[in-house]
Amino acid sequence: MLGLLGVLAGCQEAEDEVSVRSENVGFAAEQTEKVEVEVNVKAAVPAPAGNPINASARTGIKPESLKIPAIGVNTSVQHLGTTENGEMAVPDDIDEVSWFSPGYQPGQNGRAVIAGHVDGIDGPAVFWDLSELQPGDEITVEGEGRQLIYKVHTMESVPLDEADVPNIFGYSSSPELVLITCSGTYDFSRGTREERLVVYASYVGE
Amino acid sequence: MKKIFALISLALLLAMTLVTGVSADSHTAKVRIVHASPDAPAVDVYVNGDAALENVPFKADSGYLDLPAGTHDVEVFATGTAYEEGAGVLRADLAIEAGKAYTVAAANTVDALEFVVAEDSMEVTEGKTKIRVGHLSPDAPAVDVGLIGGDAVFSGAEFPGITDYTELDAGTYDLEIRLPDGTQVLPLEGTELAADTVYSVFAVNTVDAIEVLALVDYEAAGSPDGMPTTGLGTPSQEQTPWLLIGATLALFAAGGLVWRRRFQE
Repeated sequence: MLGLLGVLAGCQEAEDEVSVRSENVGFAAEQTEKVEVEVNVKAAVPAPAGNPINASARTGIKPESLKIPAIGVNTSVQHLGTTENGEMAVPDDIDEVSWFSPGYQPGQNGRAVIAGHVDGIDGPAVFWDLSELQPGDEITVEGEGRQLIYKVHTMESVPLDEADVPNIFGYSSSPELVLITCSGTYDFSRGTREERLVVYASYVGE
Repeated sequence: MKKIFALISLALLLAMTLVTGVSADSHTAKVRIVHASPDAPAVDVYVNGDAALENVPFKADSGYLDLPAGTHDVEVFATGTAYEEGAGVLRADLAIEAGKAYTVAAANTVDALEFVVAEDSMEVTEGKTKIRVGHLSPDAPAVDVGLIGGDAVFSGAEFPGITDYTELDAGTYDLEIRLPDGTQVLPLEGTELAADTVYSVFAVNTVDAIEVLALVDYEAAGSPDGMPTTGLGTPSQEQTPWLLIGATLALFAAGGLVWRRRFQE
């Protein structure tokens, strides 16, 4: 009987891979070096040539697909809002991702947020390798005939209770893309993982 | 020519004093720097002695930078000039509060360069549009901004000044900049003011070449109450105690049965 207990105890050492993979992840790209930033400069054009106020806001897209070559992601993007309890909704399909459609559009100033599962009941899901991303990795979002390119600059794994939701989904004066998946150890009392992996990328062009 | 904005690449050197990353928390303020001096060369901007922006030309804006709340020494140099404390063309202490946003415009002609600072709005009533104007044309008289053939929206804007915001219904307006006597200075017909958007419209350059620099201060969008639940799997590690407890109970139960049978025998 003791032998049997020992075997069962041994099972406890089986690794929770998501937890292990998201341990000690996170970076913020060094920004003390020169980075090229686009700045809007009004060309010297005679006044009536156009209405500059109409050109002041960036237009975004409703995203249709998401590609992250560095981790082999190429998937379609659903448009979802919130669940009944007010959380950002995610697809039932573990191979697809969702854009938070009441929020900012990709390409518009502000943080456009796309979420995907890290795992399904039987194994890895679309954002299984999100924690493997490195600064500078490219992300492409397509929609409405446009292809927007972003570069990863920051990754953090934030405890659920400390996640600054209004900031993660908030305004920025340039287009940003935020990718979210689950990370950390599994909390049985809450029925979800304790942390969220949040990846930030800056718009670099089309 | 449809697009009157040219995208010019500008080397932006984020200094050590700038807050890096995305932690725009309760200790930071947003600051946007605008070059609005018509005859000044491109400039470098130093914050607390560190290069923050390089080679900013006339009519360019930096977008919002996150800076720690507090008082900062901001000094402007003609691009290419070596930094020497106090030797810049313009210097001021900028006091900024956490959670607020500011526009800092370098205005007036180069021989009389001055900072014009305004606090920016980061909110708008849902469905409405919000706008203010800035008079940054050093030799232009006081102006009104209003509907062509209609009421003024902003009256008596004078250099150097930035008005308070006004909220309007979103929509398309035929606006103009005009003298108080009604003489048109600059037409702004078909101005589309989008819902949930905050604008700053600055009149820049000298009066004979007056033009508008339009910036978006803020755009509102929805936010959820909580983060998504993005994992369906339940790790085996956490299931083990239940298996263990279940198996142990089963063993004891089985053992109990054996013992009981023995006693019964």
